[in-house]
Amino acid sequence: MKRKTRRLWLVIACVGALGTAAGLTLTAFSSNIQLFMTPSQVAAKPPPADRTVRLGGMVVAGSVKRDHKGDTPINRFDVTDGQSAVTVSFEGILPDLFREGQSVVAVGSMAPDGGFTASEVLAKHDETYMPKEVAEALQKSGKWDPKFGPPPDAASWNTMTQKEASATVQGK
Amino acid sequence: MSATPTLTERAGALFHRYANPGRFLRLGVKLQPWLTWPALILSVTGLVWGLFFSPADWQQGDSVRIMYVHVPCAWLASSGYFALAVCSVLSLVWRHPLADLAAMEIGPVGACVTATCLATGSLWGKPMWGTWWVWDARLTSVLVLFFLYLGHIALIRAFDDQQRGYRAAAILALAGAVDLPIIKFSVQWWNTLHQPDSITLRGAPTMSHAMLWPLLVCTLGFTLGFAAIVVARLRAGVMESRIRSLLSSPRRGMQSSSGSAVGEYAA
Amino acid sequence: MTHLPYIVASYGLAIGLATFLSVGAAVRLRRDRVRLATLEAARGGDRRSAREETV
Repeated sequence: MKRKTRRLWLVIACVGALGTAAGLTLTAFSSNIQLFMTPSQVAAKPPPADRTVRLGGMVVAGSVKRDHKGDTPINRFDVTDGQSAVTVSFEGILPDLFREGQSVVAVGSMAPDGGFTASEVLAKHDETYMPKEVAEALQKSGKWDPKFGPPPDAASWNTMTQKEASATVQGK
Repeated sequence: MSATPTLTERAGALFHRYANPGRFLRLGVKLQPWLTWPALILSVTGLVWGLFFSPADWQQGDSVRIMYVHVPCAWLASSGYFALAVCSVLSLVWRHPLADLAAMEIGPVGACVTATCLATGSLWGKPMWGTWWVWDARLTSVLVLFFLYLGHIALIRAFDDQQRGYRAAAILALAGAVDLPIIKFSVQWWNTLHQPDSITLRGAPTMSHAMLWPLLVCTLGFTLGFAAIVVARLRAGVMESRIRSLLSSPRRGMQSSSGSAVGEYAA
Repeated sequence: MTHLPYIVASYGLAIGLATFLSVGAAVRLRRDRVRLATLEAARGGDRRSAREETV
């Protein structure tokens, strides 16, 4: 039975070594694994205009300007990470989840004027799953404005039923 | 260093009690209905609940209903691979014959679940994110998991000497287990397009209970379904190995000289 | 429902795959049980494991 113990330790050692190796590799490449750069990273070290980068952050409330050039919609909005903001311009249809206060990822490059020209805009979903009625109730009662960030602590709303929520909305 | 030889020995004896294929077949027959029927009832209940009776999300609208399929599949993809890794340890250390057969049967089922997870994720991503696919850490690590499953399926069947196939596939499965924590923590360690986990051990789930319950029912149903399919396949696998050893051994099915431990039925 | 095709495709995929796996497993189980029983009956051995698979 000694052989089985030896095999067990061999397996444990191999798994440990492999895990360490993977961990080190991931740490080394960590910045390359990031899907996007934040506005403050862009501000601190602007990437060259010919490089395609992904810019990620929150759409600043009140910054969205929608326009038209023929049939193509032209959108301009500011993306922030709370420290700095970058103005993004994008020609095309924005995804369903796009709204003020939403996190987005814009794919494109820096424009000469310091803005960002996006060829693609992806809306990031957060981890909240909330019925429409509950969201309305929270907004009506002034506990949350989706334009200015994430909803309040989940424990305060995740047991609210749609009926209760509708009652709150109508009561006001 | 608590693993003294006696402990390993005792653990081995414990595992081997359930390694006896005859005993497994008896257990499997009894277990099967207790897995199959609850799986069917819970899955149907959960899916109908999710599709027709759960509320639409305030942002995603009805597309949130894809979650009731996607999330259980994602959890099962990882836990199925974990089961594969456990089988691999049992196989490498204790030469557990049933673990080899189980690994062989878990592989294809796990690959199917992972494929469903990826496909439904894509179907959600197109209308919601605005793209079918991005190479972010979460999506990529799950794709790697899918290829690990495919590699395992191919490797375990690649050798003429079945025992060598078992060893090689077990090593692959164990090495690939590194991917599991990467999948789990990818959304925390790196900027991803994929949202972080809504259900965590710390803190209240950031999901309305009206959506959480159908999700949990679906998850339980799918998990039992996964187990039911694996047990059914494993029963078939045990019988097939018995058939092979009967065909390859001399008449009356006496001591199989082929050396296949699985085919032998200890009293 | 919004984005109905995507939702239907997702559910259809999951249900289709589950059906495929279940039916596959059931067919294989039945075939193997019959084969093993025939084989063991032919051998006439005293260790009939097919009996353990009676349902």
